[in-house]
Amino acid sequence: MPSKADTPTPVKPPRVMRSQTVTLVMLAGAGAAAFGLAHVDPSQDEEDVLVYANPEACIAGRVRTEAECRSEYLTARAAYPESAPRYATMIDCEAHHGALHCLPGASVASSATGRFVPMMAGYVIGRRDDQDLDPQPLYDHAPKERTASGVGTGGGSSGGGYCTGWGGRVTTSSGGASSSARVASSAVRRVAFGGFGSTGRGFSSHGGSGHGSGG
Amino acid sequence: MRRVAIGERPDWRDTARRHGFTFHTLDGAPYWSESHAYAFGLDEIERDLEGPSGEIQALCLAFVADAVEDERILASLDIPEHARDAVRASWKRGDPSLYGRLDFSYGGDKAGRAKLLEYNADTPTALYETGVFQWLWLEEGLRSGSLPEGSDQFNSVHERLIARFRTLRGDGTMAFTAYADAPEDRGTVAYLEDCARQAGLATRFLDLSDIGRDEAGRFVDRVDAPIPALFKLYPWEWAFADAFGDRLHETTTRFLEPPWKAILSNKGLLAHLHAREPGHPNLLPAYFEDDPRKASLGTSFVKKPLVSREGANILVVRDGTVLAQDHGPYGGGRHIRQALAELPDFEGRRPVIGSWIVGNEPVGLCVRESAGPITGNGALFVPHVIEPA
Repeated sequence: MPSKADTPTPVKPPRVMRSQTVTLVMLAGAGAAAFGLAHVDPSQDEEDVLVYANPEACIAGRVRTEAECRSEYLTARAAYPESAPRYATMIDCEAHHGALHCLPGASVASSATGRFVPMMAGYVIGRRDDQDLDPQPLYDHAPKERTASGVGTGGGSSGGGYCTGWGGRVTTSSGGASSSARVASSAVRRVAFGGFGSTGRGFSSHGGSGHGSGG
Repeated sequence: MRRVAIGERPDWRDTARRHGFTFHTLDGAPYWSESHAYAFGLDEIERDLEGPSGEIQALCLAFVADAVEDERILASLDIPEHARDAVRASWKRGDPSLYGRLDFSYGGDKAGRAKLLEYNADTPTALYETGVFQWLWLEEGLRSGSLPEGSDQFNSVHERLIARFRTLRGDGTMAFTAYADAPEDRGTVAYLEDCARQAGLATRFLDLSDIGRDEAGRFVDRVDAPIPALFKLYPWEWAFADAFGDRLHETTTRFLEPPWKAILSNKGLLAHLHAREPGHPNLLPAYFEDDPRKASLGTSFVKKPLVSREGANILVVRDGTVLAQDHGPYGGGRHIRQALAELPDFEGRRPVIGSWIVGNEPVGLCVRESAGPITGNGALFVPHVIEPA
C-alpha cells in the first residue's frame, strides 16, 4: 500500500456551500391549499369499558376478580368527593342528574359546602388492563333529558344513562348488574384543551399577526 | 460584501405560488425583495461567519451544561421555577435540538468582525425563505445569466434539515403546532413538516388550541391520541406562562425545540457569554441591567428585554442620544444592556446576518434588511450570493 507521500496531492474540488437539490413534497404545486392537512381520524375515538353500580355487581359479572372489583371500586369511591360536579342549587343539580339524585355538598366534601353534588351512581373501568384507564365515579344522567331526546326508558334509577364528572356520556347496552359499553374516549378520559397559546395571544401585536410568534 | 442590483425576475410571484411561498407579502407590505442582493467573498463566509457560528454554538452548549446545574443562572434568565425541572431534564436526557438562528452585525471583511446580536434558538422564522426560495433564486439566476457562472450560496439548510429529521426517529411520528392563523408561522411549520416527511416521519399539523392534556399530564389530540413528539413554533417562555406550562416535567411528549433551548433563546445569554469569554472577537460586552458594570458601556448601548421577538422593545442609544426605540409589548420584564454594534449602512439599507444552525452545525445564511437600526417586523428578506473567486 503506497504511503501518502507517494500519491500526488489530489486537486481539491471547489467547495459548494449550497444544497444540491431542493425538493418539496407537500408545499410544491398545491401551495397554501396543502395546509388543510390538519385532520384527525375519528376511528381512534372509542374504547370498551365496564360499568358497575357497586363491587358486588362487578363480582357477579365475573369479568374481574373479587379483589380487583373491590380495589377498583375503592379507587373510584375515593375520587368521588373531590371530583363530583358542583351545582349552585339543588334544582340545577337535579336537572342534570334527576330528581332525588343530589345531595347537599357539605355532606360529601368540605370543599363542596354550600353547593350541591350528584350521588355516585356507579363507576366505570376499562375492559382491559392495557387501556390504563383509572376507575372513576359515574352519575345518573338526567332522566328528563333522556326522555325528551327519546333515548332510554326512564325506568329504574340506572337505566343505562350515566355521565362522568365533567359531563362525558356513558350509555350501557343494558341495565342490570353487569354492563359493558363502547364509549367515546373523551367521555372517560378527561382532556383539557386551550392550555397553550393564551400567553402569546396576550401580545396582541404579535400572536395572530402575519408574523405570529416566530422571530 | 457588497449590495448589488440584480433586478427582479418578472415571474417570481408565480414561482412563489408554485412553491408554496404564501407569505412573501405580509400584512400588506412586501417581505421578499430581490431587486438587490448581498454578494460575499468565500473567505468572508467561511472565516467571518461560518467559523464563528460554529464556535459560538459550542460556547452556547457549554453554557447550557453549566446553567442546568446552577439555579442562579436559571433565575437570572427569568425561567420560572415550575419550568426548571423540565428544562434540566430535557438537557440531561440529551433531547436533541433541530435548529436556531444566530443574528450578527457584519459589514464585510473591511468592517471588522461579525458581532453576535442575539440567538433566536427557539422559534426562528425566515427558514423556508432561506432554504428554498433563496436557493431557487440562485439557481434561476445561474440559468438565466443574471448571476455569473460559479456563483454559490451559503445554504445547505434544506438538505441539513431533512438529514437532521432522519436522526430524530423516535416512534416515527412528529406532530407540528403553531398559531394556524399566523401566515408566517403556518408557512414555516408547513415547510418543516415537508422536510420531516421527506425524512420518513409520519407528520400532522395541530393548531395550538387543538393540543389537549389528559389527567395523567400527557399531551393528546382531539381524539385522545397521544402526541409522542411535537415541534412547536411557540416560544418556551410563553408556554411556561400558559395553563399547560405548570407540569411539563411530567409529560412523556418530546419537544422540538427542547425546553433547554429556553436558556439560549434569551438575551440574558449575551451577558453570560460575555462574562465567560471576555474579549471574544465575536461577542459584544453585555450586562444585565441590574449589574452596575453596565456603566462600563458608556453612553452608546442597546437595551433589550430578556425575551422579545422581531426587534420589539429594543432601545438603541448612541452618545447618550436615543437613536431608535421600539414600543412593543415585551417591556415588562428584565433587560440586558449590550455594547452598540450598529448595523452596517449600504446605501441607506441596514442588513442583519442570520446564521442558521441545524443540529449543531452552521449551514447557511439569510440577510434581512431594514431602513433603520432595529431589524423589526418590517424588514425585507434579501437573497445573498457568494461571488466566484
